[in-house]
Amino acid sequence: MSALAAPIIGDHHRVTAPAAASHPLPSHPVPGPENFESIVDDYQRRLYGFALRMTGNREDAEEIVQDAFVRAYRALAKMDPQQRAELRLQPWLYTITLNVTRNRLRSKRPTNVALDALADPDALLNETQEGPDQPEQIVDRAADMVLVEQALLQLPMHLRAAATLRFIEGRSHPEIAEILNQPIGTVKSHVHRAVRILRRILGPQVGRIVPSDRPASQEEEE
Amino acid sequence: MRCCDVERLWDEMRDGVEPRREHVLAHLRACPECQEIYRENEGIAYCLTCLPPVDPPQRMVGKILDHIKTTVKIISPDSIAGVDSPIGKLYVAFRHSGITAVALDRGEGEEAILAKLQRRLGRGLIPSQAPQWVSDTVAAFFRTHQPDLEKVDISALTPFEQSALRAAATIPPGEVRSYRWVAEKLGQPTAVRAVGRAMARNPVPLLYPCHRVVDASGALHQYAYGVDVKARILALEGYQPARR
Repeated sequence: MSALAAPIIGDHHRVTAPAAASHPLPSHPVPGPENFESIVDDYQRRLYGFALRMTGNREDAEEIVQDAFVRAYRALAKMDPQQRAELRLQPWLYTITLNVTRNRLRSKRPTNVALDALADPDALLNETQEGPDQPEQIVDRAADMVLVEQALLQLPMHLRAAATLRFIEGRSHPEIAEILNQPIGTVKSHVHRAVRILRRILGPQVGRIVPSDRPASQEEEE
Repeated sequence: MRCCDVERLWDEMRDGVEPRREHVLAHLRACPECQEIYRENEGIAYCLTCLPPVDPPQRMVGKILDHIKTTVKIISPDSIAGVDSPIGKLYVAFRHSGITAVALDRGEGEEAILAKLQRRLGRGLIPSQAPQWVSDTVAAFFRTHQPDLEKVDISALTPFEQSALRAAATIPPGEVRSYRWVAEKLGQPTAVRAVGRAMARNPVPLLYPCHRVVDASGALHQYAYGVDVKARILALEGYQPARR
């Protein structure tokens, strides 16, 4: 079957943002020390997930998030009412978390990134096939996931941040530009480079999309 | 549409806003090599979006809030209220431990004054009404020029700044002393400039009377609200420069 007969691209096919990232967050009237508990409650999960993807270590991630919220609290307490009203809370919290992550990883040897984390391969292998509906099949998906997690941790930090924010956190290019304080063009370039390096690390077969009318087994036999 | 453009535009198309999307699609349908690259890129992106969500440790919110309470010294904001005085409207910041800052409205407006005080104090301010003890403390200064310093909280200052302000508070109303005099009283006669800085950083002018500290020649030197205000406050206290 020719590739044209089985369209490889279309709206039905594009990868969607992760479910967690697309859930709207409750909006805080004006963020401040007085409603900080609800801010922590609303953002701890995604900031922890982000820190964990960036470090690959649960203890580091927990301490990073803790430190980030302390910094956020201190900064909010110093802001005047107008600054608080104008604050874009979510990108700001991501930025603080990233800065704390950078500081923490700088003080460690980057080659010693622990891979304890991202968890237990058995759990991944037993995971049900949830997620966006895909007409295509992904070859050996669960095993690929573990490799992808490990490959992500091998990226340089700036590329890892761009790829994590883009694909795992589901942020748009302008949002990432705001979080990273970089031009949008730089963000796009970093995302693209991250994907290319991941592909180079993972090789051609991991996470390979196969047209839907061609079973994975047939693809492998070719 | 060139192959290199298609590769560059791949991620932008994911947002569905790329105006050249149809061109990219047309190219992809006709170019097996780009199809391959597209599949490779999209496969990586798909894997990343499918990484399982991670749960934070149990009770992380409680731990974070406890950590903030132990790490951040003063976590609650101060209150602030306007109080009329013989030299104009004063903004007085206070908390249960005492008055923490005083600012004279020189026409810059409430918003600017509050912003400046927040930066100075390093914490938030909540506008409120002045409780009786705050009004009484301010009134006592203008009546006796010797307010109850038990009602003033300078604990956030450095030990040296606190000592310098306490030394200044021993200068009787209607009199002035030099920066050197304060430094000598502290037992650090060479710390004249440090005394000057401590006076300049005084968050509770009037109540801790940095206006009674002048330079060695008797000139009024500087004051947060202008030398004219310093002269006026000293005049209210009965200070007569000619008597020196």
